[in-house]
Amino acid sequence: IIKSRPGARCEFQWPSSVAPGHCVCRHLLELLRRTAIHGESNSVLIVGPRGAGKTMLLQCVLRDLQKEEKVQKNLLQVHLSGLLQTDDRTALKEITRQLHLENVVGDKVFGSFAENLAFLLEALKKGNRSSSCPVLFVLDEFDLFAHHKNQTLLYNLFDVSQSAQAPIAVVGVTCRLDVLELLEKRVKSRFSHRQIHLLSSLNFTQYLERVWTQLSLPDSFPDKKFAQEWNAGVKTLCEDKSVEEVLQRHFNSSKDFRSLHMLLMLCLSRVSVAKPTIKPADLLEASRMCFADATANMLHGLSILELCLVIAIKHLNDVYEGEPFNLQMVHNEFKKFLHRKSNSMYNFEQPVVMKAFEHLQQLELIRPVDGSSAKVQREYQLMRLTLDHSQIMDALQKYPQCPTDVKQWAMSAFG
Amino acid sequence: SQRVGEWLRSQHCKMVKDVTLGQHILIEGYDEDNPYVAKVTRLYGDENGQQMKAVVQWFMRVSELPVNKLKLLGREPHPQEIFYYECRNCDNEVNVESILRPVKHLDSNDPFPDSSDKDTLYVKLSWDSKVFGVVNSTVMESPAEPAPASSPPSSTPRGPSRRVLPTPDHAIMQKASLGEVGCSSVGTPANVEAESLHSATKLSASKCLSAKRRNATARTPGVRKRLELSSECSHKDFKMQPLCRTREQQGFLYISNTKSPEVENEKSPMVTETPRSSKRKSAMVVSSRIKKQLNLLENDQDLNSSGEEEDEFVPSKNDLLSSSEEEGQDEDGPNIDDQVSAKKFRYVATGSGNSRSKRKSYSSARTQRRTPAKKISPGTPKTPRHATPSIPIRSLQTQQPANILEEARARLHVSSVPESLPCREQEFQDIYSFVESKIIDNTGGCMYISGVPGTGKTATVHEVIRCLQHAADMDEIPSFHFIEINGMKMTDPHQAYVQILQKLTGQKATPDHAAVLLEKRFSNLAPRKETIVMLVDELDLLWTRKQNVMYNLFDWPTRRHARLVVLTIANTMDLPERIMINRVASRLGLTRMSFQPYSFKQLQEIIMSRLNKLKAFEEDALQLVSRKVAALSGDARRCLDICRRATEICEHSAADPSSTGLVGMSHVMEALNEMFSSAYITAIRCASTQEQLFLRAAIAEFRRLGLEEATFQQVFVQHQALCRIEGLRPIGVSEGLAVCQRLGACRLLLLEPSHLGVLQHIRLNVSQDDIFYALKAD
Repeated sequence: IIKSRPGARCEFQWPSSVAPGHCVCRHLLELLRRTAIHGESNSVLIVGPRGAGKTMLLQCVLRDLQKEEKVQKNLLQVHLSGLLQTDDRTALKEITRQLHLENVVGDKVFGSFAENLAFLLEALKKGNRSSSCPVLFVLDEFDLFAHHKNQTLLYNLFDVSQSAQAPIAVVGVTCRLDVLELLEKRVKSRFSHRQIHLLSSLNFTQYLERVWTQLSLPDSFPDKKFAQEWNAGVKTLCEDKSVEEVLQRHFNSSKDFRSLHMLLMLCLSRVSVAKPTIKPADLLEASRMCFADATANMLHGLSILELCLVIAIKHLNDVYEGEPFNLQMVHNEFKKFLHRKSNSMYNFEQPVVMKAFEHLQQLELIRPVDGSSAKVQREYQLMRLTLDHSQIMDALQKYPQCPTDVKQWAMSAFG
Repeated sequence: SQRVGEWLRSQHCKMVKDVTLGQHILIEGYDEDNPYVAKVTRLYGDENGQQMKAVVQWFMRVSELPVNKLKLLGREPHPQEIFYYECRNCDNEVNVESILRPVKHLDSNDPFPDSSDKDTLYVKLSWDSKVFGVVNSTVMESPAEPAPASSPPSSTPRGPSRRVLPTPDHAIMQKASLGEVGCSSVGTPANVEAESLHSATKLSASKCLSAKRRNATARTPGVRKRLELSSECSHKDFKMQPLCRTREQQGFLYISNTKSPEVENEKSPMVTETPRSSKRKSAMVVSSRIKKQLNLLENDQDLNSSGEEEDEFVPSKNDLLSSSEEEGQDEDGPNIDDQVSAKKFRYVATGSGNSRSKRKSYSSARTQRRTPAKKISPGTPKTPRHATPSIPIRSLQTQQPANILEEARARLHVSSVPESLPCREQEFQDIYSFVESKIIDNTGGCMYISGVPGTGKTATVHEVIRCLQHAADMDEIPSFHFIEINGMKMTDPHQAYVQILQKLTGQKATPDHAAVLLEKRFSNLAPRKETIVMLVDELDLLWTRKQNVMYNLFDWPTRRHARLVVLTIANTMDLPERIMINRVASRLGLTRMSFQPYSFKQLQEIIMSRLNKLKAFEEDALQLVSRKVAALSGDARRCLDICRRATEICEHSAADPSSTGLVGMSHVMEALNEMFSSAYITAIRCASTQEQLFLRAAIAEFRRLGLEEATFQQVFVQHQALCRIEGLRPIGVSEGLAVCQRLGACRLLLLEPSHLGVLQHIRLNVSQDDIFYALKAD
């Protein structure tokens, strides 16, 4: 029997534990409730780094709000995203669609942008505080809306929210701390300057607790016996020293819960019927995968010639302190190495070397210098290396059957 | 030149001939499709005899009524319905030139017939610019005074119109003389014809408008009717009593009023300098007599006339006008006696009189069957096809504020309209007197209002308009029309035309078309126009490269008949100097006003007046807020927002037993902190260890380089060194890039596009001191 994977539990539940969430949650809830019940127009920005739970907070508040009977039928919602509605024209269309206003015009093909705007503004203007249904506008990636021409949409939304028209609440969600500086002065003046900063100030013990709560099974789990065993397994896992170390490293790198979830999902996917617990080794393996350096891994797939060229480039970089290079210089450096070794084993023709060089460029391990024109012959086009030296050395260590002389050449101080 | 003058006069007067007192007529307006409707109450010429005037009683079309007032009607207006217009301050004097044609009307209490006759209008109600009323029947039947004696230069249409005078048409003049005298022709017929053709084209180019108008006159059934009558009369008269013919024709021509001078001319063709006044007097006496006759005739004719007659007539008119060759033949024929030729000429004259050039009238006659339908159909007021959208009605009632804090919050919301606008009394007074004087003087003007956001510019103007509207309601000043456009609420500067037009008339048009219509409206002498007060908010957004939108906005008020007052609002004081080209700035004029940011006392007063003795704030708290905001921006909106937030905070902490229930200093401080404090410091404190290290590494690298910018690779080297110092395991490049991207996403760092990888340049978006401060406090 395949038991239901606990991995499905790996979802995020907002208000349970995160400390600042409580106060912030109440603030937002109160604000939106007042819009819904009293018809008070408001505008608010939720600001916080990626993965801090901004959208989660909003969804959570909206979920709570929908539970209230008074609010349920009294709130229209319009969800926009700066990534989807890239200009005001599409944004207006989307608003009209979500408000079901296009039915009003019947079969009339929805006209120009100007008509659209006039139409929507008229709709909002006709409403008033006491009789119209409040509308909640959620602007995801709010900063992108600020880049629209003249900020027309923002101005109008904020203007409606500050005038005696249909009650609206504008909730902007963004990860940019400097978002207010993006707003034009008129738009800024109309914004109510309420900002909810969502910054996680949790420490490592709290972080560990979260790992534990995320992994453990609830009491409501149907198979009580399995749940007990599983929870015990999780507890021992969390107390393991090496696990703690791995988690500490993750915590140091980012407090973002998404990256934590990524790690835990990798562990959980190793659980099977045959192996019903998470072992510390699983976590270590998952952590290794998370921290794996993608570009360094790409070096493993290179041919010896290409690897030699990369090493030659590294030496050039050492000599010229990161100045750009071209194929001729690299080939020259490579030839010096061959000459010293007096080994004809790697004696390649120029076109072959060029091909290898182009392959490196395709892999974006090297990149042409900006502004270097295409008129220059390919051999002389200036390039830069997009690898760090540590990455090259790591890759060399792991490269399968790397010739020793190449390795030594790479290690040596100068070519 | 005398002849020319006579001829032209006759041309002009043709138009008037079909208008009688008490008749309903259409008058040329700015909108070709919906000409104005009015009833003639008097006709006279002005002092110097240059212009014919008509005193009229106006009627409003449905489309002319303010859109928002239509609902007062309580029913769908009939598309052909017109309203008796009771308004004192409108100009009820029109030039006869602008009269297009008469129309039928019904003023019964019967329901609207479903007749498809587009030319009949119905009067049921009156409109006095505020409410609808039942039409007073006595008013409707206002005496169609024949008025020869009562009105000084009574009803003697005469004198070439202003339009016609300056360019006499040689060809037609020649022809006239040819036809008139018959034998004393000056040129060969062919010659004449060629000349006439030539001048006709010249004419059509130069006088397109007037020619068109005359064509329109020619096309109308009324004209046809009367033409027919006259032709019948004259035919009959010619056959039966040749002596009387002249008389009848005089009668016919009387309204066209060419008779008496013509007769004189016939008698003495060579007379060039005849004193006009003497002619006039005799003409007056004659014409007044003739007029009575004609009225009688017309009445008869009206009784007898029917549609068939009109139709019958059309070909005959065609024949009449068809070609100048005919005419030429007539002129050539030496055996035709004088009288006939004279009569022929008169025919021609009457025929061609309807339009300035023969060719034109010919074509118009040819197309006349088609044109009426085409011409009239646009006259029907379009039913508002643009259904007005609205947000759905809420299902539950809004809750009323339950306690003092909620009440205060409702009053402090920016949207709540205060009873008065404190601290802007001077500005209010200035704008009020400016607009009021313009309305009373029936003139136009511009005003430029500037000030930083949130200083009450728009609110003050709205307040002014509200007061003026009230004054207009109380009949203290003439009524006016207020429209408002906002540069931010349109997608393109040229949409301004569309919006103005729509708000003025409810019409929809493309920007270009709207510009043309508005231009026409504001430049033409459009009668019975109310003064228009236009508020242009966010003026700077109406800037275009050629600045023609701004130019037009400021140029219209300078037109003589525009009666437009433009109030413009923008943020910057020197906008006219900065972005406007000279001709625009010059038209804007120097009536400027700038709204200073509020001082702390004013802000305090604003809050107090809004709260209106509601005790919700401690004195000190209010003072703190107003001082803080005044020091920063003087933005009243901000001030109100902070107060509102403070009430919320106070409400949350109400559970605290020490609280007094009033908003105190602590609450205000908290609100101020929330709104003004920068989040950077907290954000840095809350960042992960590696992110903090990366910031430090960046600073270290900047110090090393002596620059404010470094590549990721350089910073990363520093970062790894720092990791070792801190005893952390150095991170890989991928992880380092991820850390860097996270900092970039919240704009603690400014980054180049991420595809550059380790080569991307990094800059700090916070000051180094801030970072040190944030990290040290740890």
